Order: sequence, then C-alpha cells, then structure tokens
Amino acid sequence: MDGYDARTIGDLVRPDGVHRSVYTDPRIFELEMDRIFGRAWIYVGHESQVPDPGDYHQALIGRQPVLLVRAADGRTHVLFNRCPHKGAKLVAAPCGNAGKLLRCPFHGWSFRFDGSLASVPVRAGYEGTGFDPGHPDFSVRRVPRQASYRGFVFASLAGDGPDLETFLGGIRPSLDNFCDRAPEGEVEVAGGVFRVWQHSNWKIFLENLNDTSHPMVTHESAIEAARTGYRSLPEGTAMPFRLHIIEGNGEPYAFWDKLEMVAYDHGHSYMGAIFKPPTDPVSLAHAAALEAARGAERAREILSMQRHNSIIYPSCSPHTSFQQLRVIRPVDVDRTLVEVYTFRLKGAPEETFRRAVVYANVVNSPSSVVMPDDVEVYARCQEGLRSDGGDWVSHHRDAGRDRIEDGRRTANGLSELPMRNQFRAWSQYMIRE
Amino acid sequence: MTATPNRPSAAPAPAPALAPALDRAGAEAFLFREARLLDEGRWDDWLDLFAPEGMYWVPLARGQNDPVDHASLFHEDALMREVRARRLQDAHAWSRQPAARTARIVGNVQVLDPAGDAGRGADLVVGSTFHLLEWHRGRQRMLGGFYTHHLRLGPDGPRILLKRVDLIDCDGAHDILEGFL
Repeated sequence: MDGYDARTIGDLVRPDGVHRSVYTDPRIFELEMDRIFGRAWIYVGHESQVPDPGDYHQALIGRQPVLLVRAADGRTHVLFNRCPHKGAKLVAAPCGNAGKLLRCPFHGWSFRFDGSLASVPVRAGYEGTGFDPGHPDFSVRRVPRQASYRGFVFASLAGDGPDLETFLGGIRPSLDNFCDRAPEGEVEVAGGVFRVWQHSNWKIFLENLNDTSHPMVTHESAIEAARTGYRSLPEGTAMPFRLHIIEGNGEPYAFWDKLEMVAYDHGHSYMGAIFKPPTDPVSLAHAAALEAARGAERAREILSMQRHNSIIYPSCSPHTSFQQLRVIRPVDVDRTLVEVYTFRLKGAPEETFRRAVVYANVVNSPSSVVMPDDVEVYARCQEGLRSDGGDWVSHHRDAGRDRIEDGRRTANGLSELPMRNQFRAWSQYMIRE
Repeated sequence: MTATPNRPSAAPAPAPALAPALDRAGAEAFLFREARLLDEGRWDDWLDLFAPEGMYWVPLARGQNDPVDHASLFHEDALMREVRARRLQDAHAWSRQPAARTARIVGNVQVLDPAGDAGRGADLVVGSTFHLLEWHRGRQRMLGGFYTHHLRLGPDGPRILLKRVDLIDCDGAHDILEGFL
C-alpha cells in the first residue's frame, strides 16, 4: 500500500515502543483491516444469541458486515450481510428472526440460512442467461472459515491459516474457565448489550485491558468517590460489591506488580491473580452449586484459576470472574466501538448472574463512573499522538526481562509485556503481504 | 445506609411550596426546578429531591421492566447516586476538564394515574418528555426521551421514589454518559 512496505512497517515497531503513526495513519488502519482483521480469527458472537432456526445476530469483521445465523438443521453459519443480486444488506436490525428464509427486501431473492439461493421471483426471465442458481455468485457468500469454541463463534476472512484452537493457544483455557464456572459447563448471553463509542484507535483500548499501572491514576476520581461513599455507611459495614469493584482500582502499585502477566503468540495475554477463597454469600452459593455438580476438587480447581481481562487479540476480552465479554470493533483510525456482553452461568444461582449485571452496570456501561476517565485518556492519547511533539510511544517498563518458555512469556504485573506482545503479533500480521 | 451521607452542603434544599395534592402546574414546577438543578450542576441539591429509598433508573432496553436480571444504563440507589455526584465534583475527574454543559427542556408534562403503577407507594406519577443539549470537549450532542417521576408527597414537598429515564436511543451505541440525565 501507498507509502508502506514490509521494511517501513517493520520500522514502526521497536522491542520497547511503537511509532505514533500506528495509531493515527488512516493508511495503516486500512492495512490493519486487510492484514489483521482480514486474517485473524475474529469473534462474531455466541451461539446462545441465535437459539432458534432463523435467528440472526449482526457483527463486524473489520470492515465487513456479517450475520451469525441459525439454520433449520441447528447448524450456525456466518454470512456476509449482502444480497448477491444488487448488493443490499439483507437485514438491518442488530438481531432478530428472519423466518423460514433470508429474503432480500429489494427484489425478493430468498436464501437458506447456509447462504444458498432458495428462489427468485419470475424465474423464467433468467432462462438462457448466465444465471446459475447453483453457482456461488448467486448465493449469499459465507466467510471463508468459521469455527466455534464452546459456543463462542469466531470467523476468519482468510481461507488458510492456523485453525481456531491453534490460534487461541495458551489463551484458550480462559474460554474454558469462562464456561467451566457454570455448573452445567455452559454459558449464555443474557441481560442486554452495552455499546460504547471510543474516540480513539482500537489498539489503545486493547493495550489498556492489561495495563496495570493506570488504574490508580486514571480512576482517582472514582476511587475517591467510592471511598467517600463507603465512609458514609455505618461503622463496620462490609464494603458493598458495587463499591468494591470501583474502589479496587485504588490498590497500590505493589499489589498490581504481584499479579502475573502472561502472554502468548498471536498477541494474546492475561493478568493472573492469586486466588483468595471467597467469603461473600454470592460467591459461596456459586461455589456450592459448582461443587454439587463437579465435585469439591474440580470446583476448587476451576474457581482458583484467576485470569482477569484475558485478551484474545485482536477482537475480544473475556473476564471470567464476572462473566463479561468485551468485543472490539474498529470503525475508523480514531473511532472504536466496544460491545459489552454479560453471560449467565447455566446452573448457577440467579444471584451469580445478578452480580454480573451489577458489575456490567457499574464498570462496563457507557454510564459507568469508572469508564469516563478511561475513554477520556484514550481520546487524549489519540489527540496527542497526532501532534509533532514526539514520534514514539514507550513500552519500556520491564522491557528485556520477560521470561520466555515454550512460547509462553511471563512477567511481573506492572510489566508492559502485553503491549510489546501485541505489537510483536501486529508486526507479524502487517509485514506479510 | 443513612439517607444523607456526609456531603458538604448538608442543609436540605428548600422545597417549592406545593399543594398537598399536586396538580399539573405543581408537578411542572417540580420538574422545572429539578431540570435547573441538574443544568446548574447543583448535584447535592438534586440528591435531596429523592426519598431515602428512591431510585434513579435509566433502562438499557425499550420497555424494560426489570432492573435486576437485565443491564441498565443507570440503576442507582442513594449510595451510588452519591458516589456519582462526588466523582462529578472531583478535581481529578479527567473527563470533566472542563465539565460538560447542559441545557434541558422538559415538556408534555402529564399527571398519570399512580394506581395503574404497581404499588411503589407513589402518590403521584408524572410523565414528561425531555430534550437535553450537551456540550463537552468541543462536541455537542442531543439526548432525549421520556421522564417518569414517581413522587411521594410530604409536608416538605414531593420526594422522588423513582426517576425513570427512557432514552430514545437507550439500546443504541453511546458516547460516555457520566452526568445524571
């Protein structure tokens, strides 16, 4: 592409930093859509969002509008949301049920949920023409590759590449643990979706998800407000959950540094934490339900696996303890849409889900008291990076000290390992033409 | 928790003089005053309009009737309203440098029948429509929708048992919503 080749792209990433243009240059953004979002496995949606035949859920894979649909035989398909006749989008609503067939609202061409053409009106007009109902040109195009992992549906716009499980690699246990926390071993999307605009490049958010040196600074106002609120409660009151999840951002640096940062190939990473057996009634009831279903030993094994904000680069981030999944949809070089889904652990007490809803409201909603300062600093980065006040973004914290073993990279909690790891993957995707 | 946490202006705001049974004009006066308190950033005075058990609720879905098993944009009791108000006034609330400016118009005020509104103990339910113009960090946006106020009448004026805000784009994609609507 104009102005960039493998060498000049390679020059944008250093072992301890990146050039600002990766966040600001629209040409880079277009290349990312082709080479990262056009190749990697991108999260589309969860099978529970399309339970019945004809159900659809819209998603974006990079620039491409797609549909996750459920066919009559129970299989799911990921289709481009585009009629092969004149190009109209087949559905407009974010989700719904299409009935027996996907029918284009323009000229009435109808398609089965695997994309194949079912019928066109007044077929006689096509006799003796090049129109061939069996030819893929006259069907709704399916994405080249689609795969599901425990109900999480991913798609790749590239015909070849690693399969989904290979791609997930060491981050795959985060999705397992997400589901294993359910006594029935399955989760389902429930309780609505938040959609939040960020006026910043998609990578800024993705980096922040494993950035442990920002909470006490960025969230100072929310932490102080939560502490003031707590002091207004009667002496001896345990801190309510809704305050705890705000106030927790105020832990000192030493706390964060003790977390283990773990990173894998393809840009994935997570923050590990030391398991403290819960004492609150909601967690205890959940643990009891899990023990009843899976046995005490297995339940403890599942619950003691602590992975906060796993990053499945470049499209989503599961948070296992509170059943949240954040999905990153880059819209433009300086505009990102984040979708926030809450999941129900099947077979868990209803209070477990209700707590997840409170977590979503307080922490992940556009109206959260925590998030405004995140979104503000992201936008300030985007604005500042456009300036000529400097060319490089620093990833120096604990650089050169990563422990590497079998493709698994680990570091102390404050390390900027996750950012360096993301850009290692970024280079690999971007350099390959 | 206690009804009035330790905020600086502990003195209760003077309530407007209202007839014990609020008519439409009285309800309107209450809503207009509330709108002014919000537009002037008088958060503590606004908090005082609520009954201790009062809730501020902005549903995420159209026609949502469940704030417990479904996410909401805001579902705040006195404690969480207080936390939000404290943050809005914190010098280190980075998103408020400067703070957003707002101007809202409240209209189509109607006194609704509280009887049809499954026993929240409200003496009065008031429906209205609002437009909320906001200017923040160089961007202007228009928010709007419907207010429903469930009010309890007392000797010192109406108190809010529930303020429900149905944004016209509740289930759309949102820029940050940090102030009270």
